[in-house]
Amino acid sequence: MVAFKETELLLDGETMMDDDVEDIDDEELVSESESEPEEVALAEPAKNAVYNKEGLLEKLDDISWPENVEWIHKLTVDHDQENEIDANDDLARELAFYTQALDGTHQAFEKLQPMGIPFLRPPDYYAEMVKSDTHMLKIKGKLLTKKKKMEEAEERKKAREAKKIAKEVQALKTKERAKRKKEEIESVKKWRKQRQQSGFARGKDDEVDSSFDAEMDFERTKKRRPGVAPGDRSGGLARKRGNEKGRKKREFRDTKFGHGGRKGMRKQNTVETTNDFRGFNVGGMSKNKMRKGRVMQKEARA
Amino acid sequence: MGWKEGEVEKKSDSPIFRNKEKVLVTCSRRITYRYRHLMLNVVSLLPHCKKDSKVESKESKGATLNELVELRNCSSCLFFECRKQKDLYLWMAKSPSGPSVKFLVNAVHTMEELKLTGNHLKGSRPILTFSTNFDKEPHWKLLKEIIMQIFGTPKNHRKAKPFHDHAFVFSIVDNHIWFRNYQISVPHNETDKVDRRGLDKMTLVEVGPRFCLNPIKIFGGSFGGPTLYENPFYVSPNQIRALEKRKKAGKYAKKVKAKTRRKRHEMSNPLEPDEFADMWRE
Repeated sequence: MVAFKETELLLDGETMMDDDVEDIDDEELVSESESEPEEVALAEPAKNAVYNKEGLLEKLDDISWPENVEWIHKLTVDHDQENEIDANDDLARELAFYTQALDGTHQAFEKLQPMGIPFLRPPDYYAEMVKSDTHMLKIKGKLLTKKKKMEEAEERKKAREAKKIAKEVQALKTKERAKRKKEEIESVKKWRKQRQQSGFARGKDDEVDSSFDAEMDFERTKKRRPGVAPGDRSGGLARKRGNEKGRKKREFRDTKFGHGGRKGMRKQNTVETTNDFRGFNVGGMSKNKMRKGRVMQKEARA
Repeated sequence: MGWKEGEVEKKSDSPIFRNKEKVLVTCSRRITYRYRHLMLNVVSLLPHCKKDSKVESKESKGATLNELVELRNCSSCLFFECRKQKDLYLWMAKSPSGPSVKFLVNAVHTMEELKLTGNHLKGSRPILTFSTNFDKEPHWKLLKEIIMQIFGTPKNHRKAKPFHDHAFVFSIVDNHIWFRNYQISVPHNETDKVDRRGLDKMTLVEVGPRFCLNPIKIFGGSFGGPTLYENPFYVSPNQIRALEKRKKAGKYAKKVKAKTRRKRHEMSNPLEPDEFADMWRE
């Protein structure tokens, strides 16, 4: 332990002047290796840095397993890493690790298959896994929500685009309609002018009329909407609003008061009812109303 | 020792080699949640390990830990030491007289992270993949041997499961050892007949954990002994923090200096009186 402390002190003195690079990246590591004056950094500590190659190799011989140990005990595979990987480039680094693992698995598989050793876990083999089921459910949930969010975002984008296009189309349509309307009015005016000019000749101006009517007919029959009455000014839209509720009320009133509605809700003194005495007592008009009691008595006696 | 030869020590081709590796996994007190979870993950990855209770860090680490390893009848040890609740140091040691290594651990991602979606059998034997630059230098060779013995599950261990469904990746990038653990997954209906075609469709899903080891020193003995190797590029995190603070401390002094400099400059070069200064006086 004493040797340890001494070398540490020396190391302290030497490396004080070096520049450090610290990537405060929440993803990855805080790199402790010097960056810029790397030449300087290497030179100085290298002198003090212990590198006992013989000792290392000796220890290696001490601990390593005998030479003829079968590979099945070790299960190690070596992978050749071609290029120098930059530790800061996350994607490249992870890709390199992935390829290393993939290559290693391929090699291992090739070695294991002739030995007849089962390689992969069959789907019906249930045993304790390193992560619990609840944890895997959480992961699944998270993946699903992520997928859903992405899909929703895509849909929203599409809807926005579609809306834009629809709006454009709509604008075009209204413009066209306005134009057509204007044209129609223009043609009517022209026709009137023509009539005026020709002195309102009552004869059949076939060409003008026919052309006029033909255009109008053509116009009207262009869009035949099945559910709409021809005289319907709103174009079938009025029916849509509050259809069921109004219907129910109407039906109820019809059944209760007969088709036509309650008598009480109507006006009483109208033109029709002024001289209508159907409901009145004919011939009993001369009696004095004030003497109602005597009349009732007389009637009762008689 | 980690291995036992057969009764008769002949120079035969196949002495009975039994991998009786047992790893003791402990940590120091005042370890933070992240590193504790990492330790627990490592425990679940190695079925041949024994987890022990926390170790006091004030006493001389070497002696107590060696005794503990002997007591539990283990052949190696993984000791997670957390300093200042910020830095994690990992010791890998072979007992009783083997070499030991001290690493600084960075970039820790535990298995509980939801982005690491893979899963594998608990106790199945991993396939250890090393990059070829482990064979270039003696210290890497030694590290490779230690890692292989500690992280490789013994073949006929009681808790070992029969299939091979995950792979460890140990790779040297920028003088650090990077660790990854991948699940080998093959599309569902192919598992019975894994042939060439199945192999092509094989994908790897990361299970975790992830960490990066920066070797600091290699010692000849277990938790002590002569230093065999020192990493010339290693700077302790304490020094890094100290340098950062010093840089920040300089900021105020520089500001004051800049102010006085400006004042002096202004006094030495007086401005011409401005003609239009009084124009807008109300």
